[in-house]
Amino acid sequence: MDWLRRVAPYLFITPYALAFTCFIILPFFVAFGLAFVKLELTSQQPAAFVGFDNFREALGDPYFRKSLWVTVYFVVLAVPTTVALAMALAVGMQAMTQRWARNTVRAMLFVPGMLNVAVAAILWQWFFNGEFGLFNHLLESLGLPRLPWISSRALAMPSIVFMTLWWTVGGSAILLLAGLQQIPGELWEAASLDGAGAWKRFTQISLPMVRPVLLFVLVINTIGAFQVFGQTYLMTRGGPELATRSVVQYIYETAFNNYRLGYGAAMSWLLFMLIAAFSLVQFFVLRKVDA
Amino acid sequence: MGAKAALVLMAMLSLGLYTAREWDGTLGTSDERVIHLNFWNGFTGPDGRTMLEIIRQFNESHPGIEVTMQRMEWAIYYNKLMVAGIDDRAPEVFVIHASTLPRFARAGFIAGIDELFEGSPPRLPLDDFEAELMRQLRYDGQTIGVPMDIHPQGLYLNAALLREAGLVDTKGQARPPVTYDEFMAAVHAMHDDPDGDGRADQWGFSWSMWRHNFQSLMPQFGGRYFNDDGTSALDCPENVAALAFMVSLREGELLVPPPENNLGWVGFRQKKVAMVFDGVYMLGDLKRLEGLEYVAAPMPQIGPNPGTHGDAHVMCLQEDLDDDTRAAALEFMAFVSDHGLNWADAGQVPARRSARESEAFKSMQVQSAFAEQLPYVLFPPRSPAVFELQQQLDFAVEKALRGRATPEEALREARENFETFVRNAGLPMLADSEAPS
Repeated sequence: MDWLRRVAPYLFITPYALAFTCFIILPFFVAFGLAFVKLELTSQQPAAFVGFDNFREALGDPYFRKSLWVTVYFVVLAVPTTVALAMALAVGMQAMTQRWARNTVRAMLFVPGMLNVAVAAILWQWFFNGEFGLFNHLLESLGLPRLPWISSRALAMPSIVFMTLWWTVGGSAILLLAGLQQIPGELWEAASLDGAGAWKRFTQISLPMVRPVLLFVLVINTIGAFQVFGQTYLMTRGGPELATRSVVQYIYETAFNNYRLGYGAAMSWLLFMLIAAFSLVQFFVLRKVDA
Repeated sequence: MGAKAALVLMAMLSLGLYTAREWDGTLGTSDERVIHLNFWNGFTGPDGRTMLEIIRQFNESHPGIEVTMQRMEWAIYYNKLMVAGIDDRAPEVFVIHASTLPRFARAGFIAGIDELFEGSPPRLPLDDFEAELMRQLRYDGQTIGVPMDIHPQGLYLNAALLREAGLVDTKGQARPPVTYDEFMAAVHAMHDDPDGDGRADQWGFSWSMWRHNFQSLMPQFGGRYFNDDGTSALDCPENVAALAFMVSLREGELLVPPPENNLGWVGFRQKKVAMVFDGVYMLGDLKRLEGLEYVAAPMPQIGPNPGTHGDAHVMCLQEDLDDDTRAAALEFMAFVSDHGLNWADAGQVPARRSARESEAFKSMQVQSAFAEQLPYVLFPPRSPAVFELQQQLDFAVEKALRGRATPEEALREARENFETFVRNAGLPMLADSEAPS
């Protein structure tokens, strides 16, 4: 039965490999091909090769540029705050001496991330509701004026970032906590004996030692933030006045509402290249600092 | 579990899946063929339950046909339907809004159904339907759908607030405003802002679905989507006048809530807003509410003409069906059409005149009030780029109401962006030469 032992591992991964090939690899290349084709499902014209025309159109499309800026704004707001807060929470949990307390906090932080984006978005839509939402009720009970949380152009995106923090920070915090727990305790003890304070121990020991995990958390959060769609689409539909329409929403509307598949594919490839570039920069910068 | 057992399990699972795929859905043998019809739509609310009941009646009365309904949220539904349709996997019968039909008609998987309206007597009498609506369903010289209903926008009113404000008829019943003057008087009479800070304790009126509100006012000012020569008319002076009226209610006297906090329908439900424009389909929402005394009326005439915006649910048939399946599907569509009165109960105005003229329908206050507007409903344009057009109108109305552009500027930008879109997408502005202007 040696052959069975040799083959079995591959058979076990076959279902996932098939799904991965069908739903990730294949669409990846199909989208690449589509990006060079003019294919409008309602135009009654056959698909035609147009070279880089779709890419050129995207770069000159004010709505694409606007949605790109909106997305970058979300990334700039969401990623640093998520990583910083996650690190603070991880350090806090690490400092907890009672195991039950740490486990309780860890579980509480993790729960929001288990919610589907639709559930989380609908929940927060009610929190943010201008007339009868929880937050305005709290503000009024404190004698403060109500805020148009998701209906003003200035507040809508910060409000969505706030909701995203609640939703995603737990996962990142737990990853960073796992990284912190890998650091040998003697290092902190030695530093304490040498007179290093808490901040010094954090910057000189915790941060450098946890850097690989931090890099992972940073890259994962950046990729996720560039692909923001669910919370903005469900909470504001991209409004008010496109202030929260992300590039993924614009791609979705182009491809699946206007049925411009070629153009939608070209924009998704531009987004892919942008994410890849950001991820590589983060990877090399942090690796260089590490070295 | 050892590797061998796992392999056996996987093999059995694969065999099971393969067998299930090959199974035709019947148990044993039967001489009588049952025709299965898949019926897709977006009736996810109370209207879905009404439709299920109609289907149950059909299945009971047609032993040789079995209809199965699948419903999902409209936006998702349209994506799935388009993809399924172009891949020859469309359901036998499906519902499309008249406004969305131009996009789907061009995708080439909807069959003509003229035979339903032909013969003597025809299965469905053509003159029982609104001529303008039937004109909306003509593509490439054939009719491609059976309209189920027409859902116009109209006026919902809080009857108790109207009575409190003394807006009553000779019998003491709430009297909805009909003219511009009456409407403005009612807005003022039910507006309660003691400190005058623009945040009223009670609003006489509020905008609800901004674009629908605008589209309802457009025909009142003589507005249109396209010119007779087929060019875009989004920024024609009449449309600008309609949008200017919307903007004017927030100017000076602050008669409507600020755009940052514009929850007209929610306010109406909470009795904080006395009047609101919305669609007849919102009736289902009101029926679930307790303690709100509401009445409905046609849109008040704000501009020089009566007018409102309306759309319709249309049943369509997949192309490439065999004769038996096609006949069964046509029978099902006709059956649903015949049961327009049941459908009206779900909060719709039936497409059939005979249903609307029945005493049962006339006793439905909201539906019959909205139905009064059918002679002057302006349907959405027959444009394959209708999604983009509606989106541009969304942007324009929002920009103008928020004071970030004048109505002229906002609508001009909408027209220019729409023209750019159809040029880039290679689409015609209008579906075909039969398009009503």
